[in-house]
Amino acid sequence: MKNFFRKVAFGIGPNEEVPSDPLAWALNQLDDVPDLTWKGKIPSGKEMIEIHARKNEIELKKVREKYKDDKKLLKIGIKRLNYETGLHFWPSLELSIRHTEAIYSNSPVLAKLWFFWSNHFAIVDGGFRTAFYTGPYQREVIRTNLNQTFEKLVYNVTTSPAMISSLDNGDNIGPKSKIGKKNKKSSSINENHARELLELHTVSPAAGYTQEDIIQLAYIMTGWMNGYSKSTGDTLPVEFNKDRHQPGKKTVFGKTYKSGKKSLENVIKDLVHHPNCRDFIATKLCRYLITDNPTEEMKKPIIKAFKDSDGFLPEIHKAAIRVAFEYNDQYQKFQNPENWFLQMAKLADFSWPTSPTIMDLYEVGRKPQLAHTQPQGKLYDLGHDPYRAKQPNGFSDFEADWISPELLIRRLVFAKDCFELTKSKNNNFKFYKNIVNKNFNNPERIFNYLEKAKKPYEIQILLFNHPEFLKA
Amino acid sequence: MKINRRDFLKATALTSLYFAGFGTPTLASNSPKKNLVVIMLRGGMDGLCAIPIKGDKNFEKLRSKINLDKTLDLTSDFDLHPALTSFKRLWDQNLAAAVHATNIPYTGRSHFDGQNLMETGGKIPYQEKTGWLGRGMNIAGLTGNGLALALPMPLLIRGVPMNNNYYPVGDKLPSNSTLGLIEQAFKEYDEKLLSENLKIVMTRELKNTGSRKNWSLAANAGEELSKPNGPRVAVFEVDGFDTHAAQGGTNGAHADCLSDYNEIVRGLKQSMSKETFDHTLIVTLTEFGRTIKQNGSNGTEHGYGSAIFLAGGLVKKAQVHTDWPGLKRKELFEGRDLNSTIDARSVYASAMSTVFDIEFERIQKNVFWGDKLDNLSDKLFKA
Repeated sequence: MKNFFRKVAFGIGPNEEVPSDPLAWALNQLDDVPDLTWKGKIPSGKEMIEIHARKNEIELKKVREKYKDDKKLLKIGIKRLNYETGLHFWPSLELSIRHTEAIYSNSPVLAKLWFFWSNHFAIVDGGFRTAFYTGPYQREVIRTNLNQTFEKLVYNVTTSPAMISSLDNGDNIGPKSKIGKKNKKSSSINENHARELLELHTVSPAAGYTQEDIIQLAYIMTGWMNGYSKSTGDTLPVEFNKDRHQPGKKTVFGKTYKSGKKSLENVIKDLVHHPNCRDFIATKLCRYLITDNPTEEMKKPIIKAFKDSDGFLPEIHKAAIRVAFEYNDQYQKFQNPENWFLQMAKLADFSWPTSPTIMDLYEVGRKPQLAHTQPQGKLYDLGHDPYRAKQPNGFSDFEADWISPELLIRRLVFAKDCFELTKSKNNNFKFYKNIVNKNFNNPERIFNYLEKAKKPYEIQILLFNHPEFLKA
Repeated sequence: MKINRRDFLKATALTSLYFAGFGTPTLASNSPKKNLVVIMLRGGMDGLCAIPIKGDKNFEKLRSKINLDKTLDLTSDFDLHPALTSFKRLWDQNLAAAVHATNIPYTGRSHFDGQNLMETGGKIPYQEKTGWLGRGMNIAGLTGNGLALALPMPLLIRGVPMNNNYYPVGDKLPSNSTLGLIEQAFKEYDEKLLSENLKIVMTRELKNTGSRKNWSLAANAGEELSKPNGPRVAVFEVDGFDTHAAQGGTNGAHADCLSDYNEIVRGLKQSMSKETFDHTLIVTLTEFGRTIKQNGSNGTEHGYGSAIFLAGGLVKKAQVHTDWPGLKRKELFEGRDLNSTIDARSVYASAMSTVFDIEFERIQKNVFWGDKLDNLSDKLFKA
């Protein structure tokens, strides 16, 4: 049963009590979305986009123009601009906020589900986007909606600056709209966002939509864009520009929608109420928490909770956690690199992430110190930086996608190198015995290996690469 | 634009007759091993940006903002993108070729479904759990002969045990005695996949320090492939072909991706012995091509037909092999995309047949479920 704490969260820390009722402990974390635990400064999305991203976008044009004939100067100019806008700092700050929520908050189960939804609605990596958009999006659009309905979450995601940028909806212009008719050559629909709204965010291909459904949905989405002006670039708030909106009725899944701003809300309402949407979300939650191949039996209670509560996320989450609890002893899932890393950090009481005091010492405009960029560097090297998804379907939840010689090397080398993050008072067998007792079903079997270690750092390598630690 | 379908069909009929009666080539026991390198071009490679058709006014008009202002000369019908310099050098020595207007039989225009199918070779997304290359290697008995130049193990090469991958971590492994204890634990818990991977980690010669740049990865792969007991298959990945915006012509985002491909070819050529390169085939793979027409953001949308680059000593001759469907509106797939007239899987099945010395029919049957594919070995590759 003890592995449940790692399955639905990140384990029990050395100074924490093992909850006597694990299921109640988990379920109690899902009704509210408390304030973030991070004690340092937390920039708002508005500040990130309207100050830092805007400056980066506007100045970059000037730098390119200024140094268009000298590649070397251009490189230096861009580097300086990146310092001036904190481009290399923000992702590590975001990771620190995120990891603090997993390791030190009172709602690690909610954090684990926050990570799930952030990955479900993944923002594609792009230097600029990764630096200024993705972190605030995951905090302000995904996390704040975790006690709302799935419908509201989807609508807020779809109209967020990060997703519109990630899936090019700003380029989605109705050919028969006012602007489309004026600039015939440069105006056409961009299907990218519409397709992913169906395929990845709501109903999945199992719903059997056609290319025409995608095109019609793209028409509905025409006009939604990041606000633009010459002096700000496209860093103004998201707007519905009716001059770009395709006029006329549109038909998706056989249902007709009137033209206008409200049609997006209406079509999302229908998509989230589609049976395939419930099935898809249940499958993905089970896959994330329990097994690569969820059974119908596993999915059933989650689908029911979705339907009965009209997609109320706390109810969906509770159903998923109950199922994870029920199947806890039957299934152990190989943990993805970030979850594995966070479990190491939590159980072994690492000095992780970089402290708020140190992060707050960073001044925009200066070159960040190593400590200011270490979180992103580490996660990237591990192959799993959650702000740098390569594709809109995010990181895989299939076990086989995380096992290869190189990925195994990462676990071996990280387990060794993370010794630098341990506190010297913890470098003794008694400490590890305590955490193993709290978190594993078969502590004696694990002790057998740990006892063979000759040095404290070797205990870590053995524990963190033990089959029971790699899975949960 | 001189090419038309009838010429192509005539030439094809002749070569087919000429080669009729020749059995599958068999590898003499003392011949050097043959290697297959697959470079995955993720995001949808624009075949018409890489290998544009000459003198098609309609095409030029549809792409007024992203046309190439300079090209390398390939044939009387096709040009080459100027970023592909190493490819062109090989072409000039009859060591490179292309197949055009080709794709896997997938028309859904989704990256994820498309990439899943380009790797599995199947028709229903996410149904197959192994890759066509992995299954082909499995039939050929190439256990422990795969090398992926990537951090995860690509689906493409799954289906045969003991594949290796290389993406240097830049640090030393724990001591052998520690690794031995972990090995013991994996065994005790019957963790087969983990045990298999740990064994590779403990026995391989690749250094864990070094650069992860494409050229450097390719150079390492080239050295490994050149070893008599080294791998026989290597897989690379190039991302970023999904240019919905700022695709650019000679210098844009698509050009950078083509350069990445070019660097891999250059790295392989430079690091391989002549003999190894002579016995190597380098092919590309993408999920789909892109729309003929540029969109409003000087990019292109997801399309259908694309192109395959072929390079290496096992390429038969410099040629653009195609059954050109034309670019007039009625000739386009769904009125918007270059059509695919050659199932890309025919090229891959033929490549595996040539490199692994297995009868084409066996690959067709055991790797591609007996789907209707054409044996192009004698047209594209050296026996």
